[in-house]
Amino acid sequence: MVTILPDMNLEEMLEVTKIYSILGLNSTEEPIITTRPFRNPHHTVTQISLVGGGKYPRPGEVSLANYGILFLDELPEFNKSSLESLRGPLEDRKISISRLNTTITYPCKFMLIASMNPCKCGYYGSKEKKCSCTSEQIKKYINRVSGPLLDRIDIHIEVNPIKYSQIETKQKIETSKDIKIRVNRARKIQIERYKKINIFSNSELTPQLIEKFCTITNSGKKILEIAIDKLGLSMRAYHKILKVARTIADLEASEKIEEKHLAEAIQYRSLDRKYWQK
Amino acid sequence: MLSIIKSMALQGLDGYLVSIQVDISNGMPDFKIVGLPDTSVKESKERVISAIKNSNIEFLSRKIVINLSPASTKKEGSIFDLPIAVGILIASKKIKNPQLEKILKETIFIGELSLNGNIEKTKGILPICIEAKKIGIKRIVLPLQNIKEASIIKDIDICPISTIREVINYLNGTYDIKSEIEEQELTKNIKYSIDFSDIKGQESVKRALEVTASGGHNCLLIRTARFRKNYACKKNGNNFTRYEFRRNARSNKNI
Repeated sequence: MVTILPDMNLEEMLEVTKIYSILGLNSTEEPIITTRPFRNPHHTVTQISLVGGGKYPRPGEVSLANYGILFLDELPEFNKSSLESLRGPLEDRKISISRLNTTITYPCKFMLIASMNPCKCGYYGSKEKKCSCTSEQIKKYINRVSGPLLDRIDIHIEVNPIKYSQIETKQKIETSKDIKIRVNRARKIQIERYKKINIFSNSELTPQLIEKFCTITNSGKKILEIAIDKLGLSMRAYHKILKVARTIADLEASEKIEEKHLAEAIQYRSLDRKYWQK
Repeated sequence: MLSIIKSMALQGLDGYLVSIQVDISNGMPDFKIVGLPDTSVKESKERVISAIKNSNIEFLSRKIVINLSPASTKKEGSIFDLPIAVGILIASKKIKNPQLEKILKETIFIGELSLNGNIEKTKGILPICIEAKKIGIKRIVLPLQNIKEASIIKDIDICPISTIREVINYLNGTYDIKSEIEEQELTKNIKYSIDFSDIKGQESVKRALEVTASGGHNCLLIRTARFRKNYACKKNGNNFTRYEFRRNARSNKNI
């Protein structure tokens, strides 16, 4: 994943380096951090080390992953309170730690990438193996990831096992380099578009800005209407869909958001229905 | 005699100016630091005394009071060692320079001392330099090891020093600090040991990750199959998330 992340610009580098600098985590030889950070705390991580805090408030993993990736493997295994404490940072993109006489704010514009099994045995939803969990167990396991947290994650995707024919294929597969070129191009469009309001990516858009920047074609509006009425999406989900659709449109350098972009974005939001709403 | 030295401390991600006031007066020998210091600041007393002595400078046993202003915010860290030492040296008239007052007004001192008088690297140099530039400080005296980090901030004089002797000579005007700053290469081509082309199939997942990376979104991957330890799966990253990300983490550890 780090191999396809877009390059950082100077402001981003300085902000990331600041955080590493106050913790003394950057090296003497190369003190400026030039690659996007990748943090993967183990699921036993405490709330304080995840979001920051302590007697002298220190930035936590979320701030260390600023402009980079926070990867949480086995999401449901994390402590409930640590997971729920991510809600605020995911929404506000900063975290305020209050102490008796001061309030300290650390930025945390991270990308959350999480992975999980849908149940304890790991086969629920699989087409080829039978899941051995009871429905009660599945429900309990999957509900450890709460709805509000799930709502804040823009893209849900299922990873299925591949077929043997795909393993043996001699087809040329895209390298990270090719993908990175496209990613960089899309990010450049975003930086250019949001120059005046000082944000760097689509994920930082606020609802007002979404209205302003996400223009949808007429046919796109229809699809959105059907999706919202049929799937009963929340307002937050609606905004997330628009943001993701904006990104997909940017990847194709399209100015307006079209039907197909919206369709792909909606598809990324449909998994929670399969697993969570039963 | 009284001397006032400027330094900086950190609050969150921002630096703020701290003025270090050193007063040496006649009386029972004493050494006190006031202004809400925490243990690491209090301990700087021992480091400063030893560092001055071991640099072959006479340390007078007098009544020394040090105030860290603003006195109402808590201070922590070893960053005040150097300014305290400089303050003591000036207050005990070890440094004589007619332009001293002007220099002190425009300069901030930061650095941790070791007992032999060397100056060690400290944390938080970048936020301090940014703040110093903002409030119009002209010069920063800092540890030699931190020079690379500080040099990214332009339009501010950076004086790297490695021993307390050098600081004294510099303030006396007998030593000129040469700061040779090389331009840093900020765009690096890092070679990763992993690549997306190692993963066969999983086109939809790759596409989703591409979108995620482009827009800075969040992403949740749900695996419907366990990691099975047979060769084909391992080789082809069937359970690509786990395999891939773990490797990534390892290659990223050095930052």
